[in-house]
Amino acid sequence: MNKLKFIALALASVCTLSLSAQVTYKASYFGVKSDGSTLNTRSIQKAIDHISEQGGGTLEFYVGRYLTGTLNLKSNVTIQLHEGAVLVGVTFPYDYTAAGDTKAIICAEGQENIAVIGKGVIQGQGTLLLGNVQTQINKGNLKESVAQASPALISLKNCSNVKIEGINLQNPCGNVMVYSDCKDVTLSNLAVTSRQTANSQGVIFSGCTGFSMTDCYFDTTGDALASAGTSTNVNISGCKTPNGKQLKAKK
Amino acid sequence: MAQTMRTFYILLITGLWTLLSPHVQAKDYQVADWGICADGISQNTHSIQQAIDQISAAGGGRLIFPAGRYLTGSIYLKSGVTLHLERGAVLLGSANPLDYDVHNTWPALVFSLNQKGIGITGQGEINGQGWTSANNVVSLIHRGLLKDTFRYDRPDQWRHQNIYFLECEDITIRDITLRAPGSWTNTYERCKNVSVEGLKVDGNSFWNNDGIDIVDCDGVTIRNCWFDAADDVICFKSHHPDYTCQNVVVDNCVGRSSANGVKFGTVSRGGFKNFKITNITIYNTYRSAVTFAAVDGAEIENIEVDGLRAINTGNIFFFVIGNRWSSGKKPYMRDITISNVYAEVPLGKPDPGYPFEGPIEDLPRNVSPSSIVGMPDIPIERMTLRNIEIVYPGDGDPFYAHVGTTPEELSKVPERPDAYPEFSMFKELPAWGFYIRHAKDITFDNVSIKALRKDYRVPIVLDDVHGITFRNLKITEPEPGDKEQIVSNRSSDIHIEEAPQ
Repeated sequence: MNKLKFIALALASVCTLSLSAQVTYKASYFGVKSDGSTLNTRSIQKAIDHISEQGGGTLEFYVGRYLTGTLNLKSNVTIQLHEGAVLVGVTFPYDYTAAGDTKAIICAEGQENIAVIGKGVIQGQGTLLLGNVQTQINKGNLKESVAQASPALISLKNCSNVKIEGINLQNPCGNVMVYSDCKDVTLSNLAVTSRQTANSQGVIFSGCTGFSMTDCYFDTTGDALASAGTSTNVNISGCKTPNGKQLKAKK
Repeated sequence: MAQTMRTFYILLITGLWTLLSPHVQAKDYQVADWGICADGISQNTHSIQQAIDQISAAGGGRLIFPAGRYLTGSIYLKSGVTLHLERGAVLLGSANPLDYDVHNTWPALVFSLNQKGIGITGQGEINGQGWTSANNVVSLIHRGLLKDTFRYDRPDQWRHQNIYFLECEDITIRDITLRAPGSWTNTYERCKNVSVEGLKVDGNSFWNNDGIDIVDCDGVTIRNCWFDAADDVICFKSHHPDYTCQNVVVDNCVGRSSANGVKFGTVSRGGFKNFKITNITIYNTYRSAVTFAAVDGAEIENIEVDGLRAINTGNIFFFVIGNRWSSGKKPYMRDITISNVYAEVPLGKPDPGYPFEGPIEDLPRNVSPSSIVGMPDIPIERMTLRNIEIVYPGDGDPFYAHVGTTPEELSKVPERPDAYPEFSMFKELPAWGFYIRHAKDITFDNVSIKALRKDYRVPIVLDDVHGITFRNLKITEPEPGDKEQIVSNRSSDIHIEEAPQ
């Protein structure tokens, strides 16, 4: 009898847990616009903050183009980009901030249980953004190197339990993805294209514990994979470049 | 002498009167007589309606709107009445979604239901303020005040069209500009004798801004029109299995779209018959220049497209039979002639920067070929492509997406009869030029296809095609290697007159 009670209780608590993790929010609820020209940074950030404060959940984007600057992803929040949904990086350099040393559209620092999933797209508008970065540096307004001022698509520092799954990553201004000092990062089924700016690297990771990347495609102007060699428990498999080359982690 | 001059003047005046009188037959009325305000702030709905009702009751005439902005909610055009919008006149749709009525599913700004001899003319415009209104709809839905299925995180039911005419006869649309609807721009359903000329559409204010929608109409002319539309440009639909869109002439129109150019469907229950579509230019268009979809039981026959220029368009031809909402009705597609076409497909996206750009979907996929795809038991029949030149980008990368040409690999291209039909619906296809499956009696006469870059795919794939003639086929591509030019599988009766070079 006691045993049955225990099982029932355990089941109930599991259900509650999974329910709380499954709360979904539609982007339009927060006034986010899908027209491609409305800058949504503050509305999407409000959505992320709100969902994280409520204990977590999924922010859903459906078909459309969602223009944004840097978003800071918070613990227990999943961004789901449904097929046809495109998170588009705005072309003004001052709309971006960094996590660690790297500016990006999606940043997070010291967060856990975060994810970006779906069949959608994150797009950096690299050519246009780089042009504006260079102009601002030349005018002396932006006192950074081009590399520092060029946002990536994803930059995570000191985060744990990270999942990036299924999405298409296209044309950042800088590198595509940067992971520093993260724990348990899983990347899978990503299609990465970065051909608008020179020497754009696909994925850079350093100081990570548990880094897994499977079944990804990289078409980049720089190295598809770059690691500082300080990571442990690294697993890379099934990842290809346009010449058919399989990616391998450096020992 | 004076007498002669007087007789001459009398004759002249009588002559002029005779000449002019047909033009002043319909009486003109001024909006100011009903206190209708051109300030853009006053709501004129009831005053405009009062004017229309009175003019119709008095035997008809034109209601003249001089330059100014006339704010209104839903109004109803009545028999014999033409709204004449002079240059600078704007019929301005309310930003409040509750100011619109709903008939037959959707709201609209200008309705006409079962009326005869109606029109909207002049150099002025109808501006639906669709962006503002649609976002107000979203807000009302989230507050629980409007019920909506809200697919794709956007309102389905409460976005208004600028014009919706149902079961009307003798319709004249001349010269007007239609701007910023919340949904489709102008829709004519089960109407007879529809004449649209000199229409200009600027529809980029919200999702589903089609250029023009003709639904189950008989006798339609669309001529000298210009469209910039977020959704399909010139769209024919058949909502009812007992009705057919038929006897249609489209001539000398230009359009761009983040969806398709000329489209039959998607809702395609009855059919599409006797079309002559000439001198069409499609540019910066995300999907196909021409799409014929018979996915809900449509009977499509006797269609002629002559003279098409498609520049920077993501796909050129997409002809498909499916079984989505057919409810047992058997569709067919036959007797179609496409001639005199020049088309260029870009490597990148054709519509960047337009509001409501076409969605990136069905990935991974190299640039899609033109497709002619029937169903296993219902082939597309008797189609002729004559004097066609298509330039494709090539560049198909097998490590990004790959479908080969062995029978096993070809059989893995999905059928998807119940899917929403778009050119990319099969994802990666094994050809860069034409993919033809389930077709019968097809003629390619003087067709030229060219790939600008090396492509791993073959130019043409035939799968379950019976009876196809290639006359003077030209294929150009860099580094073709030892690839076959035409791969056929489960096919018969293939004639190649003059070997491809």
